Amino acid sequence: MTVQDGEAIRSGAATSAQSRAAVLVRDLHKTVAVGFLRRQVEILRGVDLVVDRGEVFGLLGPNGAGKTTTVKVALGLMRPTSGSVQLDVEGLGRVGYLPENPYFYDYLSGREFLGFCARLFGLDAAARHERVEALLCDVSLVDAAGTHLRKYSKGMLQRIGIAQALINDPELVLLDEPMTGLDPVGRVEVKRIIERLHERGKTVMFNSHILSDVHELCSRIAIMRSGRVIWQGTIDEALDEAPSLEDFFMKVVTS
Amino acid sequence: MKQLVAITINTFKETIRDRVLAVIVVFALLMIAGGLWLGSISLGEQGRMIKDFGLVAVSGFGLIVAVFVAASLVHKEVEKRTVFVLFSKPVSRAAFIAGKFIGLCGTMAVVLAGMGLFLFALVWIVAGEASGMVLLAVLMIYVQLLAVVAVTIFFSTMGSAILAAVLGICVFVAGQLSHNVLALTRLGRNPVTEALSWVVYVIVPNFSAMDVKAGAVGEQTLAWGRIGLWTAYILAYVVVVLALAALVFRRKEF
Repeated sequence: MTVQDGEAIRSGAATSAQSRAAVLVRDLHKTVAVGFLRRQVEILRGVDLVVDRGEVFGLLGPNGAGKTTTVKVALGLMRPTSGSVQLDVEGLGRVGYLPENPYFYDYLSGREFLGFCARLFGLDAAARHERVEALLCDVSLVDAAGTHLRKYSKGMLQRIGIAQALINDPELVLLDEPMTGLDPVGRVEVKRIIERLHERGKTVMFNSHILSDVHELCSRIAIMRSGRVIWQGTIDEALDEAPSLEDFFMKVVTS
Repeated sequence: MKQLVAITINTFKETIRDRVLAVIVVFALLMIAGGLWLGSISLGEQGRMIKDFGLVAVSGFGLIVAVFVAASLVHKEVEKRTVFVLFSKPVSRAAFIAGKFIGLCGTMAVVLAGMGLFLFALVWIVAGEASGMVLLAVLMIYVQLLAVVAVTIFFSTMGSAILAAVLGICVFVAGQLSHNVLALTRLGRNPVTEALSWVVYVIVPNFSAMDVKAGAVGEQTLAWGRIGLWTAYILAYVVVVLALAALVFRRKEF
């Protein structure tokens, strides 16, 4: 699926260099109108990014760097001003997405909510039941499955959010700050989920400010600042240039 | 289609489980029962007073539910960012709008059926009259409110929930009066006001063509052909307005 200048179009024949890319972002620009006077603000200023199939990829950057906007454009929640995003999947049926600080329907229980998400992918009743129960187990919410979401803690909401992102057994998983609000046990559980996805050959791209998690999980990273990718490479390449990922990140964003 | 069904069911659950709705329905039932008192002080017109007052209450409270719930349906999804979850899945904007509308229509059907049956039972017990016309009148009020729900959803795709609710009420009132206003302005022979009232008459749904309350209390004979034609007109109006809402919503970014 390709999003280009505001419209999703069918992918053409991919070149050999692009053929292993799960996400290919080319010269992506996004300008939005802000305030009463519709002042034009450029959020993305030519993002170029390649996420390979089957890898766990970390998208890093300070607040306001454009990480979330890049993901939103990739999913069609926003239209690019120019440039393109190409996802190595047919439509959104094989994509999973966890938004930042997710908020879900108060009046549904965790089980009902996952059932609703499964319906959106057209799963039949038996497949829905099987998938929902398996995911509730994966994110340790079996005991709270019948409780309305308004009674969930932030960590529980984050976990149900991850479950809904995986309801369609996606090939490409985009997670926006998946560790936010989780206690140490929750973080370990989410890390195990990401590791299991990686073992099954899924592509995972996540935004995070928790660099230790990025170090532990990712094979490659990109660092964004002011609407551009200013560095992209493997964790090993980053650690060649600085003693820790934190030091490298500070060096790149402050340079 | 499966997405439409999923959103419809979800919207029905969302609206029917809303506690504010339960409070409004309780108030509506109390108001309908208030017709008993009015009936008791009227001379020999008890049944008619209960029907008249009850149908006004059904229409008024139905309008409150239609407008305020419809105004918040789309707005709440955008405000609370649940649209991120929806539109990152294979859900079209048109299915979203249609699902929201049909789900709320389901809730409105439950609410109006409850109020209608309560009024029917009241008339039966007090006046000894099993008035099918009361139920037909409630059904026609329901059809009117479908148009109001569609219009309010349309406005909510463009602006705030409060503005959408206010405009929804305006359309309901204009729909009741537009026919008479047009007739009045034609008498005045002012081309500007006549043109303006003609535009309003064409844009808003024409509710005055079907005075269901008058039919129910026996002031007017209701012809089935006329009812069918008017219902078809309102449903066509709903389809056009929802298509416009989907077009507007399609351009929205989150």
